[in-house]
Order: sequence, then structure tokens, then C-alpha cells
Amino acid sequence: MNQVFEEIKQAVIDGDDELAAELAQKVLDEGINPVEAVQEGFIKGIDEIGTKWKSGEAFLPDVMMAADALKAGLTLLEPAVAESGSQEGEPVGRIVLGTVAGDIHDIGKNIVGALLTAAGFKVYDIDIDQSAQSFLAKAEEVGADIIAASALLTTTMGEQKELVKYLVEKNLRDQYRVIIGGGPTTKEWGDEIGADGWAETADQAVELCKELVLDIKR
Amino acid sequence: MKSGYVANRSTRFSVLSDDQCREIVSASKEILERTGVKIFYQEAVEILRKAGCSVDGEQVRIPSRLVDQALRMVPKRVTLCNSRTGERVMHLEGYNAYFGTGSDTPFYIDPYTGERRPSSTQSVGNNCRVIDALPNLDFVMSLGISQDVPQPVYDRYQYEAMVLNTSKPIVVTANDAQGFADIIEMAEIVAGGPEKLRRNPLIVLYAEPISPLQHSMESITKLMMAANKEVPVVYTPCVMAGATVPATMAGTLACGLAESLSGLVLHQLTKEGAPFIMGGVFTIMDMQSTIFSYGAPEFHLLEAALADIAHYLNLPMFGTCGCSDSKVVDEQAGIEAAMSILLMAQAGPNLNHDVGYIEYGSTASLEMLVICDEIIGMARRIVRGIEVNPETLAVDVIDQVGPGGHFLKTAHTRKFFKTETWYPTLIDRKIYANWKSDGSKTLTQRANEKVISILESYQPEQLSPDVKQKLRAVVERAASKCQK
Repeated sequence: MNQVFEEIKQAVIDGDDELAAELAQKVLDEGINPVEAVQEGFIKGIDEIGTKWKSGEAFLPDVMMAADALKAGLTLLEPAVAESGSQEGEPVGRIVLGTVAGDIHDIGKNIVGALLTAAGFKVYDIDIDQSAQSFLAKAEEVGADIIAASALLTTTMGEQKELVKYLVEKNLRDQYRVIIGGGPTTKEWGDEIGADGWAETADQAVELCKELVLDIKR
Repeated sequence: MKSGYVANRSTRFSVLSDDQCREIVSASKEILERTGVKIFYQEAVEILRKAGCSVDGEQVRIPSRLVDQALRMVPKRVTLCNSRTGERVMHLEGYNAYFGTGSDTPFYIDPYTGERRPSSTQSVGNNCRVIDALPNLDFVMSLGISQDVPQPVYDRYQYEAMVLNTSKPIVVTANDAQGFADIIEMAEIVAGGPEKLRRNPLIVLYAEPISPLQHSMESITKLMMAANKEVPVVYTPCVMAGATVPATMAGTLACGLAESLSGLVLHQLTKEGAPFIMGGVFTIMDMQSTIFSYGAPEFHLLEAALADIAHYLNLPMFGTCGCSDSKVVDEQAGIEAAMSILLMAQAGPNLNHDVGYIEYGSTASLEMLVICDEIIGMARRIVRGIEVNPETLAVDVIDQVGPGGHFLKTAHTRKFFKTETWYPTLIDRKIYANWKSDGSKTLTQRANEKVISILESYQPEQLSPDVKQKLRAVVERAASKCQK
């Protein structure tokens, strides 16, 4: 196996985004198979961090930084992977993630984004204070499977309901799975507004997304 | 340049001012001059008479100049070593606080059945193996008695069970001076000879006077044996406020200290410069149940005050914490352990023992022990205080992240979050759903699982077969003499 794959894996584990990007560039410059670089380097690294996170050996900053390193490398390799026509480099799923209108809380959303990235999802983070229109626009642009909306306030939770309503109005409700989360939200609230899922923790959000994607593929 | 900048390197708990320490020490000297102590060993009485004490039968009145002289002669620091490597791991001096277990509990809680059972050579060995595995315990006392062997020589079996199962420094108890002599011989075998043991002590001998103000023949011969062999000794009055000493805290300190200082005088007259550790298990008698309380707030207050006096006198000190009056490992045990451990960690006695005791010191619990190991970790974090400098103030990082960003991905966080924050191994911080899916376990249940896992997987570093055989020979020699 190419030595550079091992270096990529280590760069991801170390959360070194600069080195990860440098190594991705090296893959392109030296004509190394980009799909293999993703599979044998980046994915192996993030898998190892994910396993360590579950067992309690890795801590949140380790996961967040590893996810960043992964993102830095994949961004560079994506065009080459697409060109190769390989399905191997395809993400587990595509997710549009953001905090709803009127709400600027984002630490929980960021953690969910990092863990989803670490689990192999392609995450499009549209950041804080986003309207239902923005969620949909991004979802259409990237061909998302899932829209994930976060709210940290009882006063902004209503925007999650607005998002579902907006999709219904546009006759696009069936196109996307909608999941919600955030401190004041509950499973009951998710059911009430017609969301496809709710999760209490970032880990549960990852499991939820995996199930939804499997469901879509069926 | 910062002019006259003062930083706290740790948090600290102090009870007495220097003036109050001086007043209590002075009262102890007055007690020794005016009332004196009883010494039930003629040879010791003669040594004291020759040094200038006033002798009236067994009662010996000690002039304060002898106390001052002993305080000048005694070493201000005692170092203890790992028995396998000889590494100098504990420096008993100043505010260095180390933690270890207690010794001779008649009972222990069987971790497999939860039953309260008589302690044995095997339970002592198992307990020492668990102590050896726990990162926050620095030294070992037996946490049980070898009750399954001939009792006149149980102490040799007990030391053997301990040293086979731990490489940490050991504080030993014994029946009598002959028991100590055999144990010292065993420690010399482990150390590689008498000179090596003297240079790198692996053991501390434990002896106690009888309150109020009495030194039995047994305790004095042990004390003199330790002095002559230059093996460090803990000489520790165990006093009960209201019963064997006055009910007032100051009177308790003065009377108990007089017992310690009279022991110190005799010890230094026996062998000038021999290593001595001032003891003191100073607590109350509970006037309702009559127990010697191991969880009373006055206990921790007295121990912290005695630490102030030890620092004032510049003497290494034996403290007490991590113990409880509760009969089981429950909320009471946790409260009493946590309060005493944090206070001792901050007051700074050097050799803090009795971690793992429940039932006012009658029963050893390994669950209590592993919980206390966790509490010591928390206490040590608190004592470490807060480091204030440009890097820890992180103004540059705060500027880089700016309003609305987050610090989870900064190199600064990654560099510091593990050293600045303490992470538990037993305390639960799981999210509710994960706690539930992991079996909804209480702290005591998790502690029991940890104990079982250590017992079934941990192996201490072994002594060589040759050393083991020589130790066994000493034990068997004592046993055969005992049978005759």
C-alpha cells in the first residue's frame, strides 16, 4: 500500500487539517488513485477516531479536529473522485444542517456536523439564523437526503414547524427527510410537527441519519 | 516586569495561626513538665532520667528543653521508596500530601457476595493488589488482619501478603518489637540488604501510645526498635475528645501533642537523627453510641489543625481521611470520605491513611477504596489551583475565535483541555439515555465492577523467586518458634 495513505490516516487522527490538505494535494500531483486515498487514508483515519470516541478514549476536540482534517482533504480530492466515476468515494448521505431563523446558538449543531462528517456523511452547514427558504435552497442545490434543523430556544422551536410546513407548501416534503434537535426539543415535538426524526445527543443524531439513509435506499 | 507579584500555586486550608500553634505547643510542653507521662518500660525510664527528666515511679516529667532538643535533632523529611525499583517516590515534608489505606480491620466486605467477613491473609493480599492498581493511592496499609494464621506471629504473614502484592511503600503494624525485627529483616531481603533499606526505606513502622499520656511497654519497645534500626516510625496517639482527652478541640490538640512529643523525646534520645513521623488520629467519642468517630467534622478539623502544628514544628505528619462511620458504602460514606479527603489534600499532612475504612474503622471496603481513589483525583485537581499567565489567559485565542465562534477546534483547547480538566473513571457524567442503556448503575455498583475487574485482571510486579523463598523462610521460622 502507498505510504501516503498511512500518513493521511495519521493526519486525520491528529486533527492536522493543514497536513491533510498537503497530502491530498500530493495525491493529485503524483497521480495517486484518489479513490484509494479516500478509502485507505481519510476514511480509515476518521473511523479510528470514531471508534475511540465511542469507547471514551477520544475527546470532543479530537473528533472535531479530525472532522476538519477530513473535510480539508476531501474538498481537494472530490473533483478527482467524481472524474474517476467511482461510486466508492460517495458519502453515506448528504445533509443540510443549520440553526433556525431567529436563533444564533450553534455549538450543538457544530458537534452534530463534526460527528456526521466523521461518520462519512457529507455535511453542508448553512450556519445560524437560517430561514426555511435557505434550508430548502441549499438542499436543492446539493441534492440533499436529509435536512437537519437545530433550535435552542422555546421561542425559536416554532421555526422547525415552519420548515416542515414550508416543504409541504412547496410540494417537496417527500423529497427530503427532516430531522430536528436542540435543548428544548423532544421526540413528542418532532412527532407533533411532522418531522422524520429527533435526537437528544449528537451520537444519536448520527445513528438516526444512518437509519434514515438506509430507509431512503430501500 | 511585574513588581511584587504573588501567585497561589495551590488552594489551601488552614485552621490555626502561627500564634495559636505556638500556644498549643507551649501547652503541650507545660503538660509534659507539670503532669508528665507514664512509661511502662524501665529501660526507657532510665534513658529519660539520665537525660534530665524528673522520675516518680512510672511517671516521667519532661523538661521543655528536651522537647526543643529532640525537635532540633529529628530529620525534617522522610523519603519512602518503591520496593521493586528503589525509586524515591514519596517525600514526606512540607505540604506534600500522599494517600494510602488503613491497617488492621477485623472485617472486610467480600466484593463477590457483599458479605461482611473476617479478614484473612488472602483478603489482605487481594486488597493490596487493588491498592497497587489504583493510581491515586501512594502507600499501603494492610486493610485487614491475617486472622487465619497463628496469632502471635500474624504480623509476619501479613507483611508477606502485602509485599508480594504491591510495590508501593508499606506502613506496617506488628504484635511486638520482635515482630518488627522480623519484618525489618524481611524488608532488608526485599531491599537487598540492611544498608540499602536504610538508604531507601520501603517500610514505615506503626506504633501508638495509650491515651491519655501513657506509653505501654509494647509501644515503647516498638518505638525504640525503630529508632535503633533507623527505620521510619509513625507514632500516633489515637485520642477521643471528651473521653481520653478534654472535650475541647484545643485541649484535645494539646494533650495528644504532648503524647507525640514525649514519644519523640525518647525516640531521639534512643538514636539521634532517626526518622520520625508525628502521628495523630484525633477525633471525638460520640456520646450517644460511644464510637471513636471516623466521620465527625471535628475529626477533619482536628486533623487539619494538627497539620498546621506539624508545619509549624517542621515535622512530617501522619494524617487520616477517606473513612466513614457508615456500615455500608452509601451516601454517608461518600460524604464523609469526600469532605475528609478534600480537607486533608488542602491542609497538607504528608502520610494520609485509612482510605477505604467503613464502620468506624472496623471494616475494609474495596468499593469505598476505589470511590476514594476517584475523590483523591478530584481533590488533587482542586489543590492544583489555577495557573494564570499569558498563555492560560488566552487573549490571543479569544481574539482569533471572536464573538459567536467556538473553541472546540482550536489548538489551544486541544493543548489544554486534558491538563486543565480532570476526567473521571468512576463518577458518571453520561447523558441520561446512555446511562440507562448501560444498566442505570449507581456509583457503588460501578465501584464493585471496577474492584472485580482489578481483582481478575491486575497483576503486581513480582518479586524474584529467591526473594520470595527467603521471605517465606522468615515467616516459617517465626511460626515454628511460636509453636514450641
